[in-house]
Amino acid sequence: MAQILLLPILFPIAAGIILLLCKEFKNRKPLLIYVGSVLVITGICAVFAMIQNINNGVAAFYLTKTLAIYFKPDVLGCVFASVVTIVWILAGFFSFEYMKHEKNEKRYFSFYLMVFGVLLGLGFSGNLITMYLFYELMTLTAMPLVLHTQSREAVMAGLKYLFYSFAGAYMALFGVYFVYKYGTTLEFTAGGVIESSVLRQNTTLFLVVTMLMLMGFGVKAGMFPMHSWLPTAHPAAPAPASAVLSGIIVKGGVLAIIRLVYQIIGPDFIRGTWVQTAWMILTLVTVFMGSLLAFREPVLKKRLAYSTVSQLSYILFGLSLLDGQAFTGSLLHVVAHAFIKAALFLTAGAIIYMTGCKRVEELRGIGKGMPVTLWCYTIVSLGLIGIPPTSGFISKWYLATGALETGIPVFSWLGPVVLLVSALLTAGYLLPITMNGFFPGEGYDAGRFLGKEPPLLMRVPLLIFAGLTLLIGLFPNVLINMLSALAELFV
Amino acid sequence: MNEMLLSFVVIFPMIAGICVPWIPWKKRAHMLVFLETAVLINSALMWILLFYRPAGGVTLFHFTGNLTIAFELDGLGSVFAGLVSFLWPLATLYSFEYMTKEENEKLFFMFYTITYGVTLGIALADNILTMYCFYELLTLVTVPLVMHTLTREAILASRKYMYYSIGGAAFAFIGMIFIIIYGTTTDFVLGGVLDPKKIADMGNILLIVYVFTFFGFGVKAAICPFNSWLPQAGVAPTPVTALLHAVAVVKSGAFAIMRVTYYSFGTEFLRGSFAQYLLMAVVMFTIVYGCSMALKETHLKRRLAYSTISNLSYILFGAVLMTPLGLAAALSHMVFHAFMKICSFFCAGAIMHQTDRHYIHELDGFGRKMPKVFAIFTVSALALMGVPGLCGFISKWNLVVAAIDSKNVLSFFGAGCLLISALLTAMYMLTIVIRAYFPGEGFDYESISDVKDPNWMMIVPLVIFVAGMFIFGLHSAPFVDLFLRIAQGQF
Repeated sequence: MAQILLLPILFPIAAGIILLLCKEFKNRKPLLIYVGSVLVITGICAVFAMIQNINNGVAAFYLTKTLAIYFKPDVLGCVFASVVTIVWILAGFFSFEYMKHEKNEKRYFSFYLMVFGVLLGLGFSGNLITMYLFYELMTLTAMPLVLHTQSREAVMAGLKYLFYSFAGAYMALFGVYFVYKYGTTLEFTAGGVIESSVLRQNTTLFLVVTMLMLMGFGVKAGMFPMHSWLPTAHPAAPAPASAVLSGIIVKGGVLAIIRLVYQIIGPDFIRGTWVQTAWMILTLVTVFMGSLLAFREPVLKKRLAYSTVSQLSYILFGLSLLDGQAFTGSLLHVVAHAFIKAALFLTAGAIIYMTGCKRVEELRGIGKGMPVTLWCYTIVSLGLIGIPPTSGFISKWYLATGALETGIPVFSWLGPVVLLVSALLTAGYLLPITMNGFFPGEGYDAGRFLGKEPPLLMRVPLLIFAGLTLLIGLFPNVLINMLSALAELFV
Repeated sequence: MNEMLLSFVVIFPMIAGICVPWIPWKKRAHMLVFLETAVLINSALMWILLFYRPAGGVTLFHFTGNLTIAFELDGLGSVFAGLVSFLWPLATLYSFEYMTKEENEKLFFMFYTITYGVTLGIALADNILTMYCFYELLTLVTVPLVMHTLTREAILASRKYMYYSIGGAAFAFIGMIFIIIYGTTTDFVLGGVLDPKKIADMGNILLIVYVFTFFGFGVKAAICPFNSWLPQAGVAPTPVTALLHAVAVVKSGAFAIMRVTYYSFGTEFLRGSFAQYLLMAVVMFTIVYGCSMALKETHLKRRLAYSTISNLSYILFGAVLMTPLGLAAALSHMVFHAFMKICSFFCAGAIMHQTDRHYIHELDGFGRKMPKVFAIFTVSALALMGVPGLCGFISKWNLVVAAIDSKNVLSFFGAGCLLISALLTAMYMLTIVIRAYFPGEGFDYESISDVKDPNWMMIVPLVIFVAGMFIFGLHSAPFVDLFLRIAQGQF
């Protein structure tokens, strides 16, 4: 029965390829039914695969004698896969409505399905080479989503995305070779796979390799200095695609970094070295810079993309502390940010779809016409800023206390300070939309937004995301218990 | 009997080729059937020989002393012979369709088929003299193929090709003389034939001679700075560029280098010497140089030719590691690259044949009009980049693992060069793919309504190559195992 694990990975990929090869559909309905049922079935399969409790993993086949394509759903992978499943299905239903005003729907949906399978594969990967395989596939299959509109800007953004991602992937691959050569196995093992005596003999080599791999995987997670593709590529895609790109696909980079640091190299080797220091500096720079750039960006989707840059480095900063509590906070923020950022981009999409407004200053008075949308936006914004009772508060609390607890000189207090300043900036770039939306000021005619509330297919995903943000904020204990158990295992 | 077959497979295509212009063909189809049958018979015989390998060799002539023209099938030779004899019938089939638009077919097919025999002669050569003779012969019979169109450009290109190749062979000649004088035998023996008694104080001179020989044979393998003939020779008809300038001719150069390195001079003697470091540096430079030039080139076939330059140096990089693993990796890239590059060249040829477009910027929107060709081209692009699951990944993996295993610090940088080159490959290949599939908003497909897929004679070889890429990529263990056994002298 362990083979059921392959089903949620292969099924959507196959379904996507079949859809791609089909002739154009005459009308939308069969297409939507097909895509919808594939999404739901995959979701069900993924859940089944996760509750099966597969301990030994499944080796699908061997690339060479020693390189196995091997899947094993551990807790980390399951958390990632569940988040992927939730966001993917909801954003998928959102796009049923949204894609009405775009061309080439069939291509969009076929790649949308393929990326779903690839991401589940990434989550369930049991060794480094499998993860690398799906990491590359993720880059490739997500590319058509980025340049979907085919405007010159989008194509350029797509190329930029592609080349940055590959640069990162190859930096990481460089390290994979060394891990393969010096490590005992490529399988993810808590505490690392390289013997400490080997590490001691080749300290410099492995520090350089680790740094390269961190920066390589960090490209996907938008870490400075290779972040600039993100604010270009994410806004260029259609809104639901931006939502999954910013909410989920960037987390692929985070997942890879967790796997690398905690399950391949081992946190003990990195702790206290220049690699950790450099990593902390890079993430803090990114946190601050991302927020600041978001603050001065007038186009809503671009603003949200900069915000992703900043928020992902919250997660990476938590990981770089190599501390249990901060690790829990990071993972909580992975979950929280996935829902929040998806919701924010979907809001932006709903606004574009209903009104065509792209810039922030055009949104004055929008709350009069789209109250539900703007309420959802406000709730998740509060989550991103970190105001209780939302999920963002919990995750940031853990991040900050974790940082203080580590006692690393300078960074243990500098980190929380940067996080707080950035939270302030986050409030500064998100909340004005709410305020101007509900209180456009005297003598302002908000009539053009009247009756623009988006249809049910768009509203429901937004409401669910907002609800999840509140739910995690109010009842975080289940999640926290699970994640701290994981943290104890890893750190 | 089997031994005589060895010389038969070399001589038969030559005779068949020479016959072509002298037989008064009633119909073109008759000639095509004759050619394809002759080539197929020869390939079948070659493969029978591979499976029922004759134990001994066969000597055709004695010159003086121990100088003979002799054939024998050993491990290294059988890889090259197997590769060439697999590809030749397919390339011949492809050229039937391609040559309908060119003149002087008979002459073309005559030389094309003769080249088959000559290439097998290089593969089966038992001693350095035989290899040298066929190597020179290869230059002579391929010059008319480059010159085929008889334009000014073609004549210049073929002249350059001839000067470069013959010049290179002259350098190689020096090496041959030294082997004859200082070796125990002129035969190829894994581990080298240099007589330690004779070379007592000649070490450095022999190393310099080795460097000369390397560069001499390296001319055909388009090593920097002797690479400029290869992109220019792209004026030849595509079957020539694809089969000869991506496989037969250039790989003869690489093959000859492997022979002299592993079977004449011997890696014991060369490993760790200045010659090795010098050549590694040159090869690494060529890897990056070829890719950079490819990126800058806008002519489709020339871009692929530059890519060949870089990929040939991958093979040479494996060879100059001077370890069995390195040789095995070099062999795997020799075979896998042949499939990838012949496939992408044939796609380029199909585009030229069907549409008469030569430059990359003319390919906008072709993906929808030539779906089969571009799907195949995309696969070959991904394989060249080294996406896991396709054959390019396996050979690069082997190369880098061999590099790291050799514990030679320079080879770590070589691994880096391979990855930089992989990134550049992604850039120069995927820009073509993206251009073809995403021509931009509002692209007018009517303007390329004359573009369509070619007929089966072109598609069948392409499909077989793609299948090969997947098979090598997903199930490489038996092949890589075979290469390793050959490199260790167990086969």
